Amino acid sequence: MNTVLTSARHEILCTLRARVAVLLLVVFLGMVSLSSLIGWITNTTVTRVYEKILADGLTTAPNPFAAVSALYYSRNSVIYVVLIGALMAIILGVQATLRDRKSATVDLVLSRPVNTVARILGQFLGLGAVIAVVLAASTTISWAAIGVIIGTPLGVDPTLRLMGFAAVSWVLMMIFALLGMLTGLYSRKETTALLVPFVVWSAIAFVLPQVGTAARPVALLNPVPALAASGGTSFDLIGALTGPFAITEQFKRVASIVLRDDSVTGNPVASILLLLAVLIAMIWIVVVTPRRALRSGLNE
Amino acid sequence: MTTSAISTSALSRSFGAHQALADLTLDVAQGEVFGLLGHNGAGKTTTVNLLTTLLEPTAGDASISGHSVKTDAAGVRACIGYLPENVQFYDNLTLLENLRFFARLSGLRRPDARIRDVLGFLDFTGHDTQRVGTFSKGMRQRVGIAQAVLHSPAVLFLDEPTSGLDPEGVRTLRETIVRLNHEFGMTIFMNTHLLSEVTKTCTSIGILNHGRLVHHDSMTNTLAAFPADESLEDIYFQLDSAAA
Repeated sequence: MNTVLTSARHEILCTLRARVAVLLLVVFLGMVSLSSLIGWITNTTVTRVYEKILADGLTTAPNPFAAVSALYYSRNSVIYVVLIGALMAIILGVQATLRDRKSATVDLVLSRPVNTVARILGQFLGLGAVIAVVLAASTTISWAAIGVIIGTPLGVDPTLRLMGFAAVSWVLMMIFALLGMLTGLYSRKETTALLVPFVVWSAIAFVLPQVGTAARPVALLNPVPALAASGGTSFDLIGALTGPFAITEQFKRVASIVLRDDSVTGNPVASILLLLAVLIAMIWIVVVTPRRALRSGLNE
Repeated sequence: MTTSAISTSALSRSFGAHQALADLTLDVAQGEVFGLLGHNGAGKTTTVNLLTTLLEPTAGDASISGHSVKTDAAGVRACIGYLPENVQFYDNLTLLENLRFFARLSGLRRPDARIRDVLGFLDFTGHDTQRVGTFSKGMRQRVGIAQAVLHSPAVLFLDEPTSGLDPEGVRTLRETIVRLNHEFGMTIFMNTHLLSEVTKTCTSIGILNHGRLVHHDSMTNTLAAFPADESLEDIYFQLDSAAA
């Protein structure tokens, strides 16, 4: 327990002292915070145009924003988590495990009565705490910003939904942080340690959903999951096979339901369980790293 | 009768086809300062890595204060301190933050008082809140010694401790090693190239040649056995060339 806590505390300290890491955290926080503002600008712009064409007698349709949930203003955060949040988590994860190998401090650590599982678990928890604090801050900012936009504080249900969104965002980001930790542990070069998880991330976020749904690449930048192909095409089979691995789409599905996006319906439980299963599997893969892998030097 | 602080039995390590250390059998008594000499690639660092449990032996065994490196690695780690060659730290952290981390990993729960004592012993005060990244080589070496002795280990392993130090740094380190041995009875196992330092600090020596121990005796006996040779350097070259 002592090693876990010591490693976690040390990881938090090292992460907060690294300029790149802090810059990434600030960028992510800024983008998520701007999400509400962007949503509000979109709403007011569309409403203004709608009122103009309504006054000109060009439409009788209702205002498309009239019935949207207050949580609509947080919807852009979904894509920021998939794009900026995941990449930030990868960099933090790579830094966490590469740090000791790069500076050779690993020998000082491993000459201590330290259990390597506890050591790596501590690093994971330290990173988890940093990411949790960033998500808590962004959630608080979103909550306050939405309250200002709609002119009243958010009620209990939407507040809990925002918190739920933060929780599922943490799970997704920690999966990518673990991917970064893994390549940081096993790569022979620092550049490889960073490039490999970026390639894996792009495959998960863009390639897998595309082969399973025939979605246009730009559609994958939407905060809602790509629509599944239907009608007995080969996409059905491919989609069924690749869907569970397209974790960013699973995340979008959960986030859309939690944030009350009407275009996505159904029960998010299966997707949540899948994300948790991937998280647990990744934790297991990373913490069982043998001592000799921790000690392996870089070819640089 | 003295008990062994370090005892190895046919300790061996290969890297693929290369035999880095072969059948090393030696005993270092408690309270000794042991110097392991040898040319580059002789197997000195491999020996220290095996004794500090950073590497696993391919054959043989070793025990540190009665703990086997093969069957009780955690017990070994709990009673040793280790200073690697060219020691590195977390440069973005302060001296105190670095030492707290290593102290806690060694099991010290509230280490600040102990850190102050150790830094005072090393005459290295006033740098607590300075980032280690700004330290000179000599200062880093003192931090290295500090992290190695924070938990009062029974055996201290030093791998080329004088590497890269200026003459003043070498002298300070030598004095520190002698004090750690005299004042705290710490057994010290040291790899080094500097034969002059070995003469001044070590009570016994071993010479490795291509992974094999070709000489092991007390410093007094070693010097007495070669009366015709003027210095340890002459003795070293004589033993090393005889083994080659």
